[in-house]
Amino acid sequence: MLAIRRAAFPTLAVVLGLALVFPIYVLVIGSLRSEERIFDVTLFPVEAVFANFSQAVKGTGLIRSIANSFLVSATVTVVAMIFHSMSGYALARFRFPGRNLVFAWMLSTLMVPFAVIMIPLYLITKQFHMINSFAGLIVPSIFNAYGIFLFRQFYRDFPRELEEAAYLDGLSLGGTYFKIALPLSVPIIAPLTIGFFLANWNSYLWPLIITQDAKLWVIQVFLASLVGGGYFTPWNVVLAAAVVSTIPTFVLFFGAQRFLVDGIKMSGIK
Amino acid sequence: MVPKRPSARTLREWGTAYAFLFPNIIGLFVFVFMPIVYALYVSLYDWNALSPKVFVGLDNYKDLLGDKGWWRSVGKTITFSVIYVPLLFVSSLLSAVLIHALRGRVSGLARTMFLMPFAITSVNSAIIAMYLLDPRRGLINWILSGFGVPSQDFLGSTSQAMFCVVVVLLWINVGYNMIIFLSAIKEIPKDYYEAAHMDGAKRGQTFFRITFPLIKETNTFILIVTTIGSFQVFDQIMVMTKGGPAGATEVSVLYIFKHAFELLNMGYSSAMAFVLFLIIFVLSLFQLKLFSRDEER
Repeated sequence: MLAIRRAAFPTLAVVLGLALVFPIYVLVIGSLRSEERIFDVTLFPVEAVFANFSQAVKGTGLIRSIANSFLVSATVTVVAMIFHSMSGYALARFRFPGRNLVFAWMLSTLMVPFAVIMIPLYLITKQFHMINSFAGLIVPSIFNAYGIFLFRQFYRDFPRELEEAAYLDGLSLGGTYFKIALPLSVPIIAPLTIGFFLANWNSYLWPLIITQDAKLWVIQVFLASLVGGGYFTPWNVVLAAAVVSTIPTFVLFFGAQRFLVDGIKMSGIK
Repeated sequence: MVPKRPSARTLREWGTAYAFLFPNIIGLFVFVFMPIVYALYVSLYDWNALSPKVFVGLDNYKDLLGDKGWWRSVGKTITFSVIYVPLLFVSSLLSAVLIHALRGRVSGLARTMFLMPFAITSVNSAIIAMYLLDPRRGLINWILSGFGVPSQDFLGSTSQAMFCVVVVLLWINVGYNMIIFLSAIKEIPKDYYEAAHMDGAKRGQTFFRITFPLIKETNTFILIVTTIGSFQVFDQIMVMTKGGPAGATEVSVLYIFKHAFELLNMGYSSAMAFVLFLIIFVLSLFQLKLFSRDEER
């Protein structure tokens, strides 16, 4: 009786976990089924059809949109890390008039949901002639008070002694940040990098609004276009494309799960 | 080394600070702050983004009051939110409690499995759901037929489509929220549970008397963030149903999107966006107030 009770929780957790993972399994196995047998209900495909993948990458759309997503996500992430850490550092370390005001104003931008500003954002981006361009995909996605806030928290708890010593050695305030504080910021940069990259890789609504030219489509817009039109969906090819598009996120998931979890925990900080 | 005059250092500190803040001040101003002001401005005009704007005062807001499609979309958004938010809250909290109760290797394994759908992007989650929910040959209907249930339309059914959307969002988001709950639960001192155990408290009692009250701040946080997010649901609906069938899943953001980027009604859609902003704003203030009152007691 006791043994059953002891095993109950682990069993329940594993069963629920398998249920959550099951659709991902279905996706991967489905991508290996032939077109005629795409709706088979066998646990494994009767015959693994790797041709689905060559068919998925045959048209240039998939690879190009993945490359576009990489370019956009990586650029946004790198620039955001630099800008946000600088701002977070300034807000945590420097004393200057207007500090609290600037910080409060930046935080207040968190109250503005993206869906609410998508129209004016489109109109403003259009004024800057950034419609249908990488700049339009990248620039508006960089600015995010949330990253600034987390960097500020991090630098507030950062020991001051090193920076004081560096400053006394004649390093400028800016130099102290770049040479001392920034290289020691890995514990915050790693989870935020993963968080920003994933968020931008996942981004769909803004790229959908800002890019009409299929050459500029990011991966999510491309994938959505595969199931969007007509009556017939070539599921074997669609699932293969979906699997390919998921590789980068799964590499991050398994390769850097610790940082991913750290990032999620940070987002829960009140 | 000659000690520097404090005023020079102070001035340099001000300068460095603003230099460090400059890119974000400009960026947040242009891409977040200005748009919200601009939305209010454009909402006072009749404008199709091509011809010149025509000032119409509050006419867009008056039109909106009588726009049945708009109010239906608000209703659909609320329906979604009312189903989704409590389900997500309860399922991720219970998952966290469950995983917290595990010991050893299975705990890490379960955590990884619960979080794995988080690595699926929203568009891919929609694609997988469409494949599984195919009304004629999909796996879900095959499973149901095993229980003698006739084939269901799911995304093609006005009564089922919204619930399908809820399930897809639950699937990819439960792990993320579970992690936040889990890290809050881990902060609770073990002594509390030991003392409760000594007093003969049951699991249910320790949950309601210890765990739940002690993670109150996390509860509030998850509830507010999830509610705000639920009012902006878009990606999966756009891919799976485009608001259909017969408007059954046409939530506000989708309705605004269609008016802005398909009908090019920039003024009118900005008015709707602004009203949505007010709804979200009031809702989050209301929730915040509700919970801070709880704390005073």
